[in-house]
Amino acid sequence: MTADNTTPTYVLRYFDIIGLAETSRMLLTAAKAEWTEEHPEWPQEKPNQPFGHLPVLVEKSGAEDEEDFVLSESGSIERYLARKFNFVPTDNKQMARHEQLRDQHLDAIIAFFAQLSLVDEAKKEKREDFDAMLDKVIEIHTSLIRKNDDCGYLFGEELTFADMSAYAFYKLLVMYAVTFEADVAPFVKDKITPEVLHLLRTVESDPLLHEHVEKKGSFVAHILTE
Amino acid sequence: MSTSSFTLRYFNAAGIAETTRLLLTAANVEWADEHPEWPAEKSNQPFGRLPVLIQKSAANETDLVISESVTIERYLARTYGFLPADPRKAALQEQIRDRLTDISIAFDVQRLASDDKKEESVDKLKDLLKRQIEASSKALRDNGNNGHFFGSELTYVDIATYAFFKRMIISVRDAQESISDLVKASLTPELRKLIAVVEANPRLAAQVDKAEKLVSVLSA
Repeated sequence: MTADNTTPTYVLRYFDIIGLAETSRMLLTAAKAEWTEEHPEWPQEKPNQPFGHLPVLVEKSGAEDEEDFVLSESGSIERYLARKFNFVPTDNKQMARHEQLRDQHLDAIIAFFAQLSLVDEAKKEKREDFDAMLDKVIEIHTSLIRKNDDCGYLFGEELTFADMSAYAFYKLLVMYAVTFEADVAPFVKDKITPEVLHLLRTVESDPLLHEHVEKKGSFVAHILTE
Repeated sequence: MSTSSFTLRYFNAAGIAETTRLLLTAANVEWADEHPEWPAEKSNQPFGRLPVLIQKSAANETDLVISESVTIERYLARTYGFLPADPRKAALQEQIRDRLTDISIAFDVQRLASDDKKEESVDKLKDLLKRQIEASSKALRDNGNNGHFFGSELTYVDIATYAFFKRMIISVRDAQESISDLVKASLTPELRKLIAVVEANPRLAAQVDKAEKLVSVLSA
């Protein structure tokens, strides 16, 4: 709630895909924010976005004289929502731990998409980069889950930004990246450790994300049944 | 906080660590570069990659170890006042800076692209550069064209933008002179002003003086 007692509402503009918006969708839902999603006509709506691309977050304060706050860049949007709705600690050092994980997830995703357009030796090398990053991310997640008493969250005992980012990371690779290269789905699924599966189950069964899972379906069920 | 000291582990190059080095310098903290043997030291890093920032207390205890260049940047910028505490104002700076990463990725893609994809990937880089330069120049104009994106003091996005153009013009010059020339030719008066103002800031002198000045290259 804002000082003048009007509750902000949100519009998330993106394409109707998992892409880079899934974490933001989860954050908005878990925050119990009033929000809607818009799928702008593309590329017609390109010039109407601050930087000519999506996703874009619009925060409307509800106060008559206040302008909308418009933000681009999936990372900036996620961090803004995570901080606003207390899904990251306020201490800078602890916040950095969440953010570095998110940035790692993105680096691995970028490496996957970068190798798509390459051929021969260059492709092989870049794909190896992706493989190494994926292995490292899984290793880190597994280690954090174990260190956190196997409660199923990466940090602490409640759903945080890091958990949602990790869930979206695996979901993107298995359910979205697969539309670009089919072998990535079984490749990633085979590497998922019991600890990572525990994380995915825990995130999915968190009451704060009930509505999200209802709407989007169970990613865990998808992994286990395919 | 002023008794903390930092080690920045990275290669002996500007690369993606320069903004961090400039932030550490401007923060006026004790810090040093470390150039680990590579890839021998890979497995000793938290995420197997560089850069890594290590913060030690006055008692020389390790307070923090973080990876990811942009996470490192934001941590330092927040801790030492180069990013505002207001989340909205901080987000506005971060979004400009995040775009620079997209352009760096596009640069890498065109560098590695196969012959049949080369033209397309160079066009993509040019398009992203053009948009960034337009958006940045407008923001600089809206702020009174004083060489800063916001207010009249040095901020994170000022430093990151300076470091980005320095990399795209000087660091890239040997490997791809055509791209370096292209970026140089695309600079607007507003961006040239930012570069001059940032490079001349006394708080950055210790780091800026270590290498070739961008302003000299631009006036050559």
